[in-house]
Amino acid sequence: MIRLHNLRKSFGNNEVLKGINLEVDPSEVLVLIGPSGSGKSTLLRCINNLESPTGGEVTVDGEWVNRTDLKPRAFQKHINRVRTHMGMVFQHFNLFPHKTVLENILEAPTQVLHRNQEEITAEALELLDKVGLAEKKDSYPVQLSGGQQQRVAIARALAMRPSVMLFDEVTSALDPELVGEVLLVMESLAAEGMTMIVVTHEMGFAERVANRVVFMSEGQIVEEGVPKEIFSNPREERTKQFLADVLK
Amino acid sequence: MLDWQIITHYFPFLVKGAIITLEISVISLVLGLVAGLAAALCILSTNPLLHWPARFYVWIIRSTPLLVQLFIIYFGLPQFGIGLSPFWSGVLALALNTGAYNAETIRGGILAVPKGQREASRSLGMSKALTMRRIILPQALRLIIPPLGNNFVILIKDTSLVSTITLVELTLTAQRLIGSTYKPFEMYLMAAVLYAILTTGASLLLRQVERRTTWGHV
Ligand SMILES: Nc1ncnc2c1ncn2[C@@H]1O[C@H](COP(=O)(O)OP(=O)(O)O)[C@@H](O)[C@H]1O
Ligand SMILES: [Mg+2]
Repeated sequence: MIRLHNLRKSFGNNEVLKGINLEVDPSEVLVLIGPSGSGKSTLLRCINNLESPTGGEVTVDGEWVNRTDLKPRAFQKHINRVRTHMGMVFQHFNLFPHKTVLENILEAPTQVLHRNQEEITAEALELLDKVGLAEKKDSYPVQLSGGQQQRVAIARALAMRPSVMLFDEVTSALDPELVGEVLLVMESLAAEGMTMIVVTHEMGFAERVANRVVFMSEGQIVEEGVPKEIFSNPREERTKQFLADVLK
Repeated sequence: MLDWQIITHYFPFLVKGAIITLEISVISLVLGLVAGLAAALCILSTNPLLHWPARFYVWIIRSTPLLVQLFIIYFGLPQFGIGLSPFWSGVLALALNTGAYNAETIRGGILAVPKGQREASRSLGMSKALTMRRIILPQALRLIIPPLGNNFVILIKDTSLVSTITLVELTLTAQRLIGSTYKPFEMYLMAAVLYAILTTGASLLLRQVERRTTWGHV
């Protein structure tokens, strides 16, 4: 479903991803952990080309994402289309503040996919119901709590019917008591078989939901395995150190 | 003492002048907004063929006096076979002038929209143009209404300069009436009152627009 082959990314002289090889299967939930600055966000952003890789190949759904054979204009068209298959949820929600909850969800399906307004509205209301915010459809983002905003952001991404969801520390900006409601939504999404890459520091979530945990450090994958293995029996020294730091 | 008889008698003439001033203001304002938006987008573009001409336009306008720009258009262009009426010379000069200031204002507003907004839009498959039109500009608008309003008020006041190229707007109407009445204080006072009404009206109108962009903020 997702395949990263020798993925490299540099910012100037700073090589942030040093040849990442990774495959994610359909319906797999992959949790990406690692210290701050290890390149987790950059990796996610290279998948949907919010950052363009400096080397290697990204393939999603059998489609080469970071095509280097296209002129800029053609590449823009290509990338806009490819991105409609990938949902992304950000640490700071990034809801559109000038649009209501419902308008936030309808924006891309109507403007990008040109889907029928009535049909997609019904679907959007269903999604809102699923994330427990049906009664907030006419609210503006500023009127919602962080946890509610993040659940809307998830619904907004899902409204594009993506085949993959990317989550970048989506609970890190939330007050502790609001973390649970967001994780719950992600958990039910995983149970429905969504393919997910999740960057998080919520080790409990990783243990419960992940099919596989990948530990990254300094732009490289250090260790990967099923959650039990990684958490209770890490092989690499750096993994042990990291887990000791976050779990203490 | 004020000569009230003169005031009541000549006020309608000055209102006529004020209507010309209003016309020239509104047309320049609209064209100046279009020019300002276009220049702002060009300056933000990575294409050097758009970026540098727009930068030059803003620089040249902001570093020269409006009066000289007006004279170049009205007195200078006929040398090249481009003769515009006083009205359209005035509109052109004012629109180009306010457009340059609007460009800086609009550019600043666009840059002030958090970059997460662009990223969220692009991650949903929205194109650059769609993102700008539907997500960035509406949010920038909210930030730039106050400084744009400032530009509008300056524009209205600057229209008095077109009196120098024989367009009989508010200021020139007052001047001409002084020639026959010898009442400069009354005439200029009425002109000042009418300018104040126009600029205050513009500010109030903009506050209404601003109120529509609160999006749930109280
Ligand atoms: N846009 C950028 N420009 C320059 N450096 C960046 C940029 N984004 C990330 N970096 C650098 O890349 C490294 C990895 O960052 P990031 O992927 O955000 O790590 P993580 O998400 O694991 O904390 C950091 O050293 C960061 O400073
Ligand atoms: Mg990060």
